[in-house]
Amino acid sequence: MEDLGIKIIGALLTVVLAFTVGMTYGGIVRKLTARVQNRRGPVVWQNFLDLLKLQSKKTNVAHGFMGHMAPVWIIIAAGTVLMFIPILNGDLWFPNLTFHGDLIFLLYMMVFGSLGMALGAGQTGNPNSAIGVTRGLSQMVGFEIPFVLALVALMIQYKTTSIQDIMAIQAETGVWMMFSNPFAFLAALFASLGMFRYSPFDIVGAPAELASGPMSEFGGKYLGTMMTGGSIFAFIKLTLYVDLFMGGAGFGTGFIATIIGLGILLLKTFSLYMVPVFYGWISPRYRTEQAIRYFWGWPTALGVIAVIWAIF
Amino acid sequence: MNSFFLILLILFAGAGLSFALGKISSIISGTVAFLSIAAASALFFTQIEMGSFIEFSLGGIQLQWGINSYGYLFGIIVLGLGTLASLYSISYMQNKERTGGFYFNYVLVIAGMTGIIFSNDFVSFFIFWEIMTWASYLIIIYSGKNVKKIGIKYMIFSAVGAYSMLTAIVMIKGTYDTFLISEAINSGAFNFVDNIYIPILLLIGFGVKAATMPLHVWAPGAYNNAPTSFTVIFSGAMSKMGVLGMGLVLGHIFTVDRSGNLINFFSQFSVIALQQTIMWLGGITAVIGTLYALIQDDAKKLLAYSSIAQLGYITVGLATGTKLGVMAALFLAVVHGIFKGALFMVVGAVERQAGTTDMTKISGLIRKMPYTFLTALISIIALAGIPPLGGFVGKWMLYEALITESNSYFLVIVIFFSSTAAFLYSYRFLFGLFLGQEEKETEHVKEAPITMVIPMLILAVLLVITGAFPGLIFAPIAQAMEFIGFKDVTWNMSVLNNVWGNEMNLTYLGITIAVVFASIFAFLTLKGLKGTRYIGTKDISTSGEIPYDNENLTFQIDFFQPFVRAAAPMYKRSMDKIWNELGNGLEALFNFTRKIYTGNGQTYALFVVVFLVLLLLLKDTLFI
Repeated sequence: MEDLGIKIIGALLTVVLAFTVGMTYGGIVRKLTARVQNRRGPVVWQNFLDLLKLQSKKTNVAHGFMGHMAPVWIIIAAGTVLMFIPILNGDLWFPNLTFHGDLIFLLYMMVFGSLGMALGAGQTGNPNSAIGVTRGLSQMVGFEIPFVLALVALMIQYKTTSIQDIMAIQAETGVWMMFSNPFAFLAALFASLGMFRYSPFDIVGAPAELASGPMSEFGGKYLGTMMTGGSIFAFIKLTLYVDLFMGGAGFGTGFIATIIGLGILLLKTFSLYMVPVFYGWISPRYRTEQAIRYFWGWPTALGVIAVIWAIF
Repeated sequence: MNSFFLILLILFAGAGLSFALGKISSIISGTVAFLSIAAASALFFTQIEMGSFIEFSLGGIQLQWGINSYGYLFGIIVLGLGTLASLYSISYMQNKERTGGFYFNYVLVIAGMTGIIFSNDFVSFFIFWEIMTWASYLIIIYSGKNVKKIGIKYMIFSAVGAYSMLTAIVMIKGTYDTFLISEAINSGAFNFVDNIYIPILLLIGFGVKAATMPLHVWAPGAYNNAPTSFTVIFSGAMSKMGVLGMGLVLGHIFTVDRSGNLINFFSQFSVIALQQTIMWLGGITAVIGTLYALIQDDAKKLLAYSSIAQLGYITVGLATGTKLGVMAALFLAVVHGIFKGALFMVVGAVERQAGTTDMTKISGLIRKMPYTFLTALISIIALAGIPPLGGFVGKWMLYEALITESNSYFLVIVIFFSSTAAFLYSYRFLFGLFLGQEEKETEHVKEAPITMVIPMLILAVLLVITGAFPGLIFAPIAQAMEFIGFKDVTWNMSVLNNVWGNEMNLTYLGITIAVVFASIFAFLTLKGLKGTRYIGTKDISTSGEIPYDNENLTFQIDFFQPFVRAAAPMYKRSMDKIWNELGNGLEALFNFTRKIYTGNGQTYALFVVVFLVLLLLLKDTLFI
C-alpha cells in the first residue's frame, strides 16, 4: 500500500514537473526571441499568466463534440506518454510505468494527441485549421523517417527496444549514445527541428499565413488546456532525447541526489531545446513540400548511415 | 446429417431461395440471405468439432472435408463478418433493383469461402475457390457500370491466379500422387528447395486474391465497383482467403526450411532470397496502396487502396516466418477484417443517406450521423495503429518482429513510412465525410437505419475489446500457428513480448488512459458545462472577416497537395501502366502471329510447300 502511495505521488510529481518545466521553457524562449529581435519581450513567467487568464474565462464556445474533446485528447496523450518516459536514471520517485512500454509504443502514442487536435480543428469548419492539419501531417511523414531510422539504429545497436535498458547501458558503459552512434544522434537532431515546429518548420501554425492554423478556433479553457498539453509534450520530447542520446539524467537515490539529478536533466534538456530555437531565429519559413524534402534528404541519409553503423 | 454438409446445404439453399424471393421484395430476399448465413454461423460456432473430418468419393476422387485450427481462425472472420454484413445489407440494398441475383451471389460467396475453409483436399478447395471467384465477379458487375474495364481486369487476374493454382495442384498430384493438402505438405510439396514451381505457382494464385504487388491492380476498381454491402465482405473476408493460402504455403517454406535441416548454402540462400522478395513485395504494396489512397477524392476508393496497403503488412508478416511476425500477420488479418468491414459499412451508410461517397460533395455529417461517425473514428484509430485499439497490437508485433527477429531494418522504415502516411488518408476520410463545413446540401441527411448501425457498432466494440484483450484472438491464432508448423507458441491476455524480452503491457496503458481521460473530461465538462456555448461552422474567425451564409469555405480539393508535390517522383510509376504495356506488347506479338496464321488457305498451302522444299534440301543433314 505504501508502495502504491509513493507511485501515485511520484506520478503527480512527474506531471507537475513536466508542466512547470515546459511552461517555463516556453516563456524563456519568448523572452530570448524578443531580445534577439530587439524587442523587450514578456516576462519569463508570462505563459503562466496567460494560462491563468484563459482558465478563468467564464464562457467558452465550441463547434461541437470533437471540438470539445480535442483538448482532452491532447492531455490524455500527454499524460499517458509522460507515464511511460523515464525522467531520472534509477530513481524511486519517477519510474511510473516505464517498464511496461517501449519505444515503438511511444512513437505511436505521441501521435494520439495530434489526432485529437486534428479532429477538433477539423470540426470547427475553419479552412485554415484544416490546411494547417494537412501541413502538420505531411511534415510528420517527413521528419518521422530520419527519427525512426535513428531509433532503429539504437535498438539494434543495443538489442533492446526499452528506453530503460538503453539508459542503463549508457550509464554502465559511460558512453553517451550521441558518441557511440553519432549519426543516429544527428539524424534525430534534424528530426527534432521538425518536431518542435520552430522556423523554418513552423508551417502548421504559420503566423500571418494561416492565422495560427489548427488552434485558430480554440479559446478560453480549451486553449488553456491545449497549452498545458503542449508544454508537457515539449518536456516529453526533450526528456526522451536526453534519455536516448545523452545518457539520461540521474545522480543516484536519495533526496539530494534527486535534486541534483533534476538539475542535470534541466541543463541537458535546455541545451538541447536551444538547437531548434537557434535554428529558428536565423531561418525564414519553408513551404510544406520543401520541408518534407528537407527531411528526406540529408537527415534520412544520416539515418541510413546510422543503421549501417549499428549493424557493424 | 453431418454438420459440414448441413452448413453448406443451408448456404446453397439460402442462395437459391433468396434468388427466387428477389422477385417479390428486396427486404424478404435480404432477410432470407441473412438468416441462412446466420444459421450457418450458429452451426459453425456451436456444432463443429475441431479436427473432425468426413471422407467421401466423387467421380473416383477421394475428397475430404474437415476443420482444423487454421481454417477455424478464418472461419471466425468469414462467418462472423458475413453475418453482420448480411444484416447490414438488408437496409443497404432496400429498393434496389435485381436484388435476387445480388443476394444469390452474396450467399454463394460466403458458401464458397466456407467451403474453402472446410476443404482438406485440393480438388474441393479449387472448386469452392472458383465458386467464390465467379460469384464475386457477378457482384462486381452488378451495377452494370465499368463492366469492360473493371470486370474484365478482375476476371483476367482471377483466371491467371486460378490457372497457376490448378497447375500447381496437377503438379502436386503428379509428383506426390495425392490431392490431400496435409499429405502434400508432409511429403514436402511446399519445400522450396525440392520443388521450386509448386510454391511459387500457389503464391501467384493466392497473391491475386490477397492483392499483393504486382497482382493488385484489379483490386481498387473491383472494391469500388461492387455494392458497398458486398465490399465489406470483399475486403474484410475474401481477401483473407488469399492470406489463408499464403500463410499455408509460406509457413511451410520458412518454418520447415529455415529452422530445420540446412541442406547446403545454395538452398539456404535461395530460400532467403525468396523470403526477402516476398517481404519487399509486401512492403512496396503497402507503400503504393497508401500513396494512392491519400490522393483519392472518393471515400470508397480511398478505403479500397487502403485495403491493399493493409494486406501488404499482412504479407510482410507472413513472409517473416518468425513466430511474432506470423502472429502479427494473422492478428492483423482478423483486425483488418473488423475495422475495414466497419469502415466500408460507414461508407455504405453515408452513401445511402447522403447519396454519394464523393468527399468533394459532402462534408460535416458528424452531427447528423453521430453513431456512424463514432464507428468511423474507432475504426480509423485502429487502422492507423494508434494505441490502445486492436490495430496497434498488430502493428507493434509486426515492427518488433521485423526489428528483433528477422533483421529487416530497412523494410521497417518502408513499413513505417507507409503507416505514417496512412495518418494522412485516415484524417482525409474522417474530415472529408464528417468534419468541416456543414453545407446546405446535406441538411436533409439523417442517421442510418438501426439495422445498419447495429452491425457497425458491434464491430467498433470488438475493436476496443481486441485492443484491451488481444489474447482473445491470440488463442485461436496460436492454435492455427501450431497447425502450420510452429512449436510452443506463447501468448498473454494483455501483455506483448518480443524475443529480446521487452514487454508492452496493455493493462497499464488502458488504466492510465482511462484515469487521465476521466479526470480531465470531468474537469472540462462538469465545471465548464454552463459556460460552454455551441456555435455553428459559419461562426468562425477568418482573419477578422465575417463569412456570409452562402460563402463556400469547404476545403476538400487537392487535400494533400504539398505532400503529393514532395512525393511526386513516387507517383510517376504505376503498375497499371506496366501491365498495359505488357498487354500492348502481347497484342503486337499476336498481330505478328497473325501474319503467319493468316486464316487464308493459300498461305497455309505455301507453308506446306516451303516445309517440303526445306525437308528435301536438308534431308541429307537431318536423316543420316
